[in-house]
Amino acid sequence: MADEVEQQQTTNTVEEPLDLIRLSLDERIYVKMRNDRELRGRLHAYDQHLNMILGDVEETVTTVEIDEETYEELYKSTKRNIPMLFVRGDGVVLVAPPLRVG
Amino acid sequence: IHLVAGFSSIRERTIAENSLVILLQGLQGQVTTVDLRDESTARGHVVNVDAFMNIRLKKVLHRDRRGRLTQLEDLFVTGRNVRYVHIPDHMDIMETIQGQLAKSHRVRNFAGGRKEYAKKKS
Repeated sequence: MADEVEQQQTTNTVEEPLDLIRLSLDERIYVKMRNDRELRGRLHAYDQHLNMILGDVEETVTTVEIDEETYEELYKSTKRNIPMLFVRGDGVVLVAPPLRVG
Repeated sequence: IHLVAGFSSIRERTIAENSLVILLQGLQGQVTTVDLRDESTARGHVVNVDAFMNIRLKKVLHRDRRGRLTQLEDLFVTGRNVRYVHIPDHMDIMETIQGQLAKSHRVRNFAGGRKEYAKKKS
């Protein structure tokens, strides 16, 4: 059976940091992004730039407001859900399994 | 030869085929929303995406970070300014990527060039 495309060799061993991300394919992951953003979603695809395709994503944007009188820090987060998202890699800070609460 | 896959050079094609940008290139003709780095969004028809993720959109509704709307006939977004691209629900990712790769390989074979890649589908 002739292959249409030259297939790149894929190994099953973990050799470099990107291989750790490969282990999370099709799993839910947590992504910390620049500008106080976080994503939680299912990893469908990624590349060497950390461009990613995430499914069933929840994006959390966190802002801090300082009360001018009391100087209290008020943390607010805004969430939204997106069914399928392409994420540009240069915004990604870290990738991890979903954080467990408690 | 007019390149079906729209690459300006072999270099661009290599860059695109080795990253997920190839999926974005399969979005040509679809309506999507692009979230920009400056917190604004642009929703419109994808005209073209190049290897550097520069995106050309037409018939765009642009919403700035304050929520103010502007209609634009044409919008060019540089790759660096892209934060997210919303993928339409109905799209099959693997199919799209494989389709894009097949397209550019068919062109190479058609140009009567060397047979680096295996036979076309018959």
